[in-house]
Amino acid sequence: MCGINGIFAYHYAANPIDRGELLRTRDHMAARGPDGSGAWVSDDGRVGFGHRRLSIIDLSDAAAQPMSSADGSLVVTFNGEIYNYRELRRTLEAKGHVFRSQSDTEVLLHLYADKGEAMVHDLRGMFAFAIWDGPRRTLFLARDPYGIKPLYYADDGWTFRFASQVKALLAGGAISRDPEPAGQVGFYLWGSVPEPFTTYREIRALPAGATLTVDRIGASEPRRYHSIAQVYCEAEMRAGSAGPRDEAAVQAEIRAALLDSVRHHLVADVPVGAFLSAGIDSSALVGLMRDAGQQEIQTVTLAFEEFRGRPDDEAPLAAEVARLYGTRHTTRIVTEAEFRADLPRILDAMDQPSIDGINTWFVSKAAHELGLKVAISGLGGDELFGGYPSFRDIPRWVRLFAGPSHVPGLGRSVRLISRRLTALLGLSPKAAGFLELGGSYAGAYLLRRGLFMPWELRGLLDPDVVEHGLRRLAPLAQVADELTPRPSSAHAKVAVLESALYMRNQLLRDTDWASMAHSLEVRVPLVDRVLLRVVAELASRSRRAASPISKLTLACSPSIGLPAHISARAKTGFTTPIADWIGRNRLRQAGTFPTAVAATAHWSRRWAAQLAVA
Amino acid sequence: MMRILALVTDAFGAGGGIARYNQDLLSALAQSGRVSDITVLPRFAAGTPSTPAKVRQLRPSPDRSSWIARSISLAVRQRFDVIFCGHLNALPLAALIARLRRSFLWAQVHGIEAWQPRGAAWREGLATAALVTSVSRHTRQKLLAWADVAPHRVRVLPNTIDPIYQPRPADPKLKASLGLAGKRVILTVGRLSASERYKGHDRIIEALPEVLGQVPDAMYVIVGSGDDQPRLAELARETGVADRVIFAGQVPGRELPDYFAIADVFAMPSTGEGFGIVFLEAAASGLPVIGGNRDGSLDALADGAIGRAVDPDSREELVAALTQALTGRAPRQTDAVRRFAFSSFAEHVDQLVRILGR
Repeated sequence: MCGINGIFAYHYAANPIDRGELLRTRDHMAARGPDGSGAWVSDDGRVGFGHRRLSIIDLSDAAAQPMSSADGSLVVTFNGEIYNYRELRRTLEAKGHVFRSQSDTEVLLHLYADKGEAMVHDLRGMFAFAIWDGPRRTLFLARDPYGIKPLYYADDGWTFRFASQVKALLAGGAISRDPEPAGQVGFYLWGSVPEPFTTYREIRALPAGATLTVDRIGASEPRRYHSIAQVYCEAEMRAGSAGPRDEAAVQAEIRAALLDSVRHHLVADVPVGAFLSAGIDSSALVGLMRDAGQQEIQTVTLAFEEFRGRPDDEAPLAAEVARLYGTRHTTRIVTEAEFRADLPRILDAMDQPSIDGINTWFVSKAAHELGLKVAISGLGGDELFGGYPSFRDIPRWVRLFAGPSHVPGLGRSVRLISRRLTALLGLSPKAAGFLELGGSYAGAYLLRRGLFMPWELRGLLDPDVVEHGLRRLAPLAQVADELTPRPSSAHAKVAVLESALYMRNQLLRDTDWASMAHSLEVRVPLVDRVLLRVVAELASRSRRAASPISKLTLACSPSIGLPAHISARAKTGFTTPIADWIGRNRLRQAGTFPTAVAATAHWSRRWAAQLAVA
Repeated sequence: MMRILALVTDAFGAGGGIARYNQDLLSALAQSGRVSDITVLPRFAAGTPSTPAKVRQLRPSPDRSSWIARSISLAVRQRFDVIFCGHLNALPLAALIARLRRSFLWAQVHGIEAWQPRGAAWREGLATAALVTSVSRHTRQKLLAWADVAPHRVRVLPNTIDPIYQPRPADPKLKASLGLAGKRVILTVGRLSASERYKGHDRIIEALPEVLGQVPDAMYVIVGSGDDQPRLAELARETGVADRVIFAGQVPGRELPDYFAIADVFAMPSTGEGFGIVFLEAAASGLPVIGGNRDGSLDALADGAIGRAVDPDSREELVAALTQALTGRAPRQTDAVRRFAFSSFAEHVDQLVRILGR
């Protein structure tokens, strides 16, 4: 878990790389890797890598990066964890590869030497890395299937640059800051900037589950090697040929798969703690950590003075779970004063604008204060086990509006007429768009997750930016694209959309910047390609069509199951007073607020408007 | 093996920057083992110019509609793997032909013609291009600002340097005939266009009084002609340096090396260069070079490795750069110019053909 970067002057007209720039970008990511730093520049000065290290596996200098192969022909700079590195290493050693360290980093070098770019199919974990292939004079970049670890790049036509963070690339000083309308528009639509765009035109994200090569001609098109939609489609095909199973068998198989994922996610040479809320996801994971044999578990829960004694105070329930599983438990109280004091640092650490991530900031800060370098998070449970209201709402809307939405122009006309009506009645601006968007999964998803609706953008951004941004982003086509190939079950479709859009662009990205700012590695056992295959298949096999598997399946998975009042607890959503704090804390003077974002708007819409002018 | 149809304004048998570029590109394509033959349809050409092997240049059609008609009828009669579009103006036509014949579309962009947003026909045409080559990073960046073409399809293919530009001794007769004996000379070579006015002649004239304060024997020689000359002459009078500015007029290409040889610094603080090949020619001739830092000039100056890039709007920077160069304190980087040799260009073109459609 670290910060990586590199520069490749690939074009014959380009100057050799600037070592100062390499180090500026690298050291902008000092918080990502406080334990060490390294840099490597090729003999001809055409390519260089930087690395900031947070040491977690093999703490010795043998695992320092950038790391070269024994003959010097391959060099790697790597951010993340390969959880199956021991299995991979055994296989490679059997083939005659000789290792010099105990690190997962070295496995990448040998695996690339063995399989080339196809290596990515063997990796289980979260990763973003670059390998310089000296003999082929080719740079190879890869990012994990879900996009847990970030990787951004910029290609100016002569020189290719990459880094773990957008702001680190900018800190190098050689990249244009011209805005990307698709990124600006995307932020307002979703509350986070949808990849591959960033808010800067020259900087793009390497998409999740994609690889990219750069040779003397420049960067290739990113190539997808993993698609969540594909996994669900394949699962449905396999399930079609197998008969349905009883619930107990499904439960046993899921438990085994969960335990396997948790076990893999505990691989570390430092203690692994856990974020604990009163929710099913984190509670079940702590139970499974116990089952996996971890004796000492440090757990952390956030609490707020404002909530003391109220039903939305998670602290008492979390403490109960901690007692149940015998963890060393810490409840960390966050106050509005601390929020205000941290806000400048939060905005600085926020790599791309986002309406979320503050919670993760504080819980990571708390974990860091406790001396933790690694923490397990329950992120991904709602996507995998259908915990969001969207699993119910979106299929319902699509059924309801599919007919009317096929009448050309009807939805738009109704929206234009009803817009004034909804404003008068004080309804959400979304209400006007149901007839227009509700009839398709892509449209319904935009309604469900959208922060602002496309027709609201003209009040927020310059009309040219809106027009250009919407054309480039093509939001509905982008959503539909993630749903290709298209699984047949409603559950699978929503699971794909939530995992490939909301979780990827919002939850995982926020978790990365907010935790790395505190030099904390967050691991997400519920975001795992192997687990996904199992759960997707069982979900398609199960007989209960409406809700094939549920959060209850997860709650029942630890050998000591969760107490009924915790597993039965309704999802409370974003229950922190942070929304109120944001509402009171004007980042900028009121005059800079776009007029469309009235003071009465939902806190997240106001926050977005503030961030965009920040 | 690729068969290429090149739709160009001009190529063989024509002068000017774009014609030169097209000649280089078509020659490089002809050298590539991946190309079987190239048919060139120009709008303009003089006489019956000779072309490299594998290249067949058809007679020109100065009339636009007949050129369009011939393009279409050519593409209907023969099948080409690649339609090369040498100027953005012809892009909608080239895109149409490429789509109808399912050929790869290769579009070339040079400079200001690609900097301003164009209409939907261009955006949609470019979106279908398999490859867009741009002379500079700057033009590529400006194009990507408005066109919705995927960035990995837009590659930079810079101008090349003609080997006739080498350091050579100054011709004392030429120097004397221009009244430059014993003087130190600032040189600019470029069109004097009243409608463009971006080359920065006026910026140099305005900087002259301060330069003269430190280098009293400095002279400014302007090579090139155009309708902006009266304004520049008037500006020189107003600035009080009329006797220091010499309008040498248009100079034939083969005599240009002699002009570089009598100069002490080449300066053109321009804001509108697609690339600025003249910087390379001056540097290859052994001159220190000063250009602007806001356009394609940065590519020709190789971000400072070949010449100095100044903010065109900063007289202070320009004066300092000119003074340093005239007093021999600016480094001369003739080596760095070699990276723009034709051999590197041709190798790159061969690789671009390889990745077409990748």
